[in-house]
Amino acid sequence: MKIIYTDVLVIGGGLAGLRVATGVKERGHDVVVLSLVPPKRSHSAAAQGGMQASLANCKMGEGDNEDVHFSDTIKGSDWGADQEVARMFVHCAPKAIRELAIWGVPWSRVHRGEHTSVINAQKVTISESEEAHGLITARDFGGTKKWRTCYTSDGTGHSMLYAMDNKAKEEKVEIHERLEAISLIHENGRCSGAIARNLMNGELVAYVAKATTIATGGYGRLYSVSTNAIICQGIGQAIALETGVATLGNMEAIQFHPTAIVPVGILTTEGCRGDGGLLLDKDGYRFMPDYEPEKKELASRDVVSRRMTEHIRKGKGVKSRYGDHLWLDITILGREHIEKNLREVKEICESFLGIDPAVDWIPVRPTQHYSMGGIRTKYTGESQTLKGLYSCGEAACWDMHGFNRLGGNSVSETVVAGMLVAEYIADFCDSDESALNIDTHTIATFLKAEKDKMEALLTKENGEDAYVLRRRMESIMMEKVGIFRNGEDLQAAVDELEELYKRSKNIEVFRSKSRGANPALVNAYRTQKMLKLALTVAYGALLRTESRGAHSREDFPERDDKNWLKRTITSWPDENQTIPTVSYEEIPIEKMEFPPGFRGYGKDLTVVNPETTKRQGVVDALTEKLVREGANRFEIQNALMPYIDKLPKKYQGTNERLGENV
Amino acid sequence: MREVKIDTTPARLDFIQSASGLILALFMWAHMFFVSTILLGKDVMYKVTIFFEGHYFFGESYPLIVTIVAGAIFAIFIAHAAVAMRKLPSNYKQYKILKNHIQSFKHGDTRLWFWQIFTGFAMFFLGSVHLYIIMTNSADIGPYASSDRIVSEWMWPLYILLLLAVELHGSIGLYRLALKWGWFEGTDAKKSRIKLRRMKYAITIFFLTLGFLTLAAYIKIGIEHKANAGERYHLETSVVEGVK
Amino acid sequence: MSEVKKERILKISILRFDPTDPKDFPHIVTYEVEEADGMTLFIALNEIREHHDNSLMFDFVCRAGICGSCSMLVNGQPKLACRVLTSKLDANISLAPLPLFKLIRDLSIYTGEWMRGLSERVESWIHDKEEELAFDKLEQRMEPALADEIYELDRCVECGCCVAGCGTIQMKPNFLGAVGLNKVARYHLDPRDKRSDEEYYEIVGDEDGVFGCMTLLGCEDVCPKDLPLQSKIAYLRRMMIQTAAKN
Repeated sequence: MKIIYTDVLVIGGGLAGLRVATGVKERGHDVVVLSLVPPKRSHSAAAQGGMQASLANCKMGEGDNEDVHFSDTIKGSDWGADQEVARMFVHCAPKAIRELAIWGVPWSRVHRGEHTSVINAQKVTISESEEAHGLITARDFGGTKKWRTCYTSDGTGHSMLYAMDNKAKEEKVEIHERLEAISLIHENGRCSGAIARNLMNGELVAYVAKATTIATGGYGRLYSVSTNAIICQGIGQAIALETGVATLGNMEAIQFHPTAIVPVGILTTEGCRGDGGLLLDKDGYRFMPDYEPEKKELASRDVVSRRMTEHIRKGKGVKSRYGDHLWLDITILGREHIEKNLREVKEICESFLGIDPAVDWIPVRPTQHYSMGGIRTKYTGESQTLKGLYSCGEAACWDMHGFNRLGGNSVSETVVAGMLVAEYIADFCDSDESALNIDTHTIATFLKAEKDKMEALLTKENGEDAYVLRRRMESIMMEKVGIFRNGEDLQAAVDELEELYKRSKNIEVFRSKSRGANPALVNAYRTQKMLKLALTVAYGALLRTESRGAHSREDFPERDDKNWLKRTITSWPDENQTIPTVSYEEIPIEKMEFPPGFRGYGKDLTVVNPETTKRQGVVDALTEKLVREGANRFEIQNALMPYIDKLPKKYQGTNERLGENV
Repeated sequence: MREVKIDTTPARLDFIQSASGLILALFMWAHMFFVSTILLGKDVMYKVTIFFEGHYFFGESYPLIVTIVAGAIFAIFIAHAAVAMRKLPSNYKQYKILKNHIQSFKHGDTRLWFWQIFTGFAMFFLGSVHLYIIMTNSADIGPYASSDRIVSEWMWPLYILLLLAVELHGSIGLYRLALKWGWFEGTDAKKSRIKLRRMKYAITIFFLTLGFLTLAAYIKIGIEHKANAGERYHLETSVVEGVK
Repeated sequence: MSEVKKERILKISILRFDPTDPKDFPHIVTYEVEEADGMTLFIALNEIREHHDNSLMFDFVCRAGICGSCSMLVNGQPKLACRVLTSKLDANISLAPLPLFKLIRDLSIYTGEWMRGLSERVESWIHDKEEELAFDKLEQRMEPALADEIYELDRCVECGCCVAGCGTIQMKPNFLGAVGLNKVARYHLDPRDKRSDEEYYEIVGDEDGVFGCMTLLGCEDVCPKDLPLQSKIAYLRRMMIQTAAKN
């Protein structure tokens, strides 16, 4: 029996996981990171567009600050977010980006003087100030009031991940590659590590740790077409779910990105539209202004994706053998801009479509892109129900995104949540609370359970083919739990997924019987886990009889703040149940700094909660009074919704900006 | 930052390899132009020969000068061979790996390098023989003396091989040298490389053509002069006498 | 559009071997796959695994040419398989794992371990002893053009193609290779890294470093990210010669 002891176990070697690992290591705790792939290959690398942080350096970002970033984020979330968490996030995003700048990310910088840019299909000249020269610049992204998305050309995620991984190497963080956590060790509501499988030789290893962190990213691969890397299968969420103790939040909140290429679903960054690219239909007509006259192509992602789908349904899509699509036109930006700032897009167009985006339009359609839901945590990143289990990044429902995430807030969340959760974990490990009392018998029991599962898969006869089940699951999710949802389809989806789940207990690994490196075996046990997760998504979507953010019900088009201002909480307490247990967590309006309002897209279909009016009155009165008394924005904010004490001491300081606090 | 004591030898060796290679390659260009003067007539070649023997400076010829120059070139040649040897496969295993790599990879510049190893290795012998003979027989250069050596003393097979080896090795080497140090890189290194490669081929063809024409000229003279082998050439008009 | 196009049958020959199986030995297996529109090797290999042989091992992660996981020898050429359209190849395709890296199984190789060793060897991170994490303050300024230039070198995805395309490193496995030299050039260029020229010389100033490079330029020609490797190795060579001359 191989047991590895450490203080902190981090599952997942993307941006969030690495940031947690370096953070706790700096605080003097031992840490081991388990990663499916070399960390530099994690899906974080694919975030082309940028990271939101309210630095307000460039001309179009002037006047930006935490308050503006906060309100954009809350609006974007359709008021589903945890406002305290969102506050913590916007406060720390500038710190995270500056830290990364010190660690070597070559952020694109402001250049003094004039440059031209394309805004709303017009060439515009923008003049950058002398004093901003050489500071980190930003570009426009959907759903934001200011240009706030900082970037390195179009390889932001790549540069961030490389800097982070290099930092982890400098700190001598121990990384175990090609190890997959397949179950969590837990007893009496306390998580004490994980059982992992070595994907190179099949060995099972027990990792015992005071704190275990899941940072495995999203679960986009439940869908047949997704922009996600093929390793984003939600196994982190699934093993948390399988404890029966830890809970998942808002699993039905799935974001579709407007512009993935057809048919393979590879993402072209939001930067294409941010920089001035247009969406056109089969007649070459720019349709977005008809639907969203104000924000047009740069409306929030969920909105653009729905408008595109609506437009295709009107018969305006371009026909192709892979289904209908629309066009993304970036030719207007000019070759020079494309080759410098959108080079990744150019490479993708050349390699996968054989077209030149400086001349040709790009075939795109909305495609599964991001999982707002995940392991439900407190603001510290710790599971609400399983002590010693932490989660952050896309894997978690920390809940700063609510029901829709803004472009550029995801990579930003990974590093911000990573740096905060690292501190909370380190505090936990420093305290007596973290003392572990686990005997090797318990570990052996968990280890044996996994070994038995593997053996069962390999020795079963006349069983099911995992690939068949999985492909079916993927298409159900795509067709019935997609951009527009309705009760009938969702019910059918839940029923069939439940059936598939039952069949998955009888999976047999055909032919490929190796106990070592065996891709068929990996697919078999992952399929079982993915089916459970798919059920949480479909079932949560079925029960939520309203439309909020990315969750859009054709049969319930209103955002129902009266009944549905709450988070879906899913768990799987009994091994033998075939449908998840669902409960709800209220999102209290009376504590909100920014009470629910109209997002400003389409028609206002909100069912207003009476609490909202009350709270709005309180907020307005208090703000007015404080303004009269000459209070500054920090004091006003603190009076409305204090949060700063929740932050680790080292991150409580105010952020410098040109013309503010310098 | 901490004080670091570095070992500069690897840098020196690298520099010596490139510098000696550059000198040898440029020397070979010049050398080729000198010997090819035979194509302009025996007189011209003769005048060039005695020019290098110092005739126009001292009033009479000193073949010792040629000996010294040849000796210097020989020294550089040996130095170049010594440092360049570090790059060759040092055992059969390495050789085999390289051979397989070249076969499966099918990459132009890697193949060129194989030719460079091959020609370089050949020149250990071919070059040494030639240099030694010139060093020790520096007086025997001239329209007849050289032709006799090529034909009557059976040097032509060696010269054919040497010519091929030198021109290939030299032009590939210069091309590689430019890339190695980033010369003529301009704003677009990839485009300049294509230009450099074209130039390399042009230079190879030019010098091989010139070389073979020259060799043919000497062979022709050598055959015609076979009966009188050993006899030295004299200018038909004795203008030379008048020059101090 | 009525005419039915007859799709080609691709014959994909894969060099297979499971080093953990004592009975196995390297052998070539050929699979037949019907070509489809826009098919890449990613699609073709998944089809083989799903319909012909579920034990076939290979690595894809982003499948979009971003992560660098799927490098392999395609007809002898190191390439990112996800970006190879089958339509650009002959119907007979040979696939083999990249040489030099530890083989996991079939086309799957352990580049992570190798690249980690490399990073530790050249210490590919910002060295700044006085660095204080002043994350509340305005960030240090940097010339926009310099930031772009650093990013240009930062784009390496550690796929290992340059290693497979390098004759030198095949013969002399201790050689840093273009991936390592590029990293050094990247940090040398970065004003945030306070290492002196002499410290850099210690890392690359020998025949396992920049002086070992024979300028065969396989690296430059196979790099899927079109990094300016030739130019940067030349830059590094000049810098190191200057450093030696100073000392």
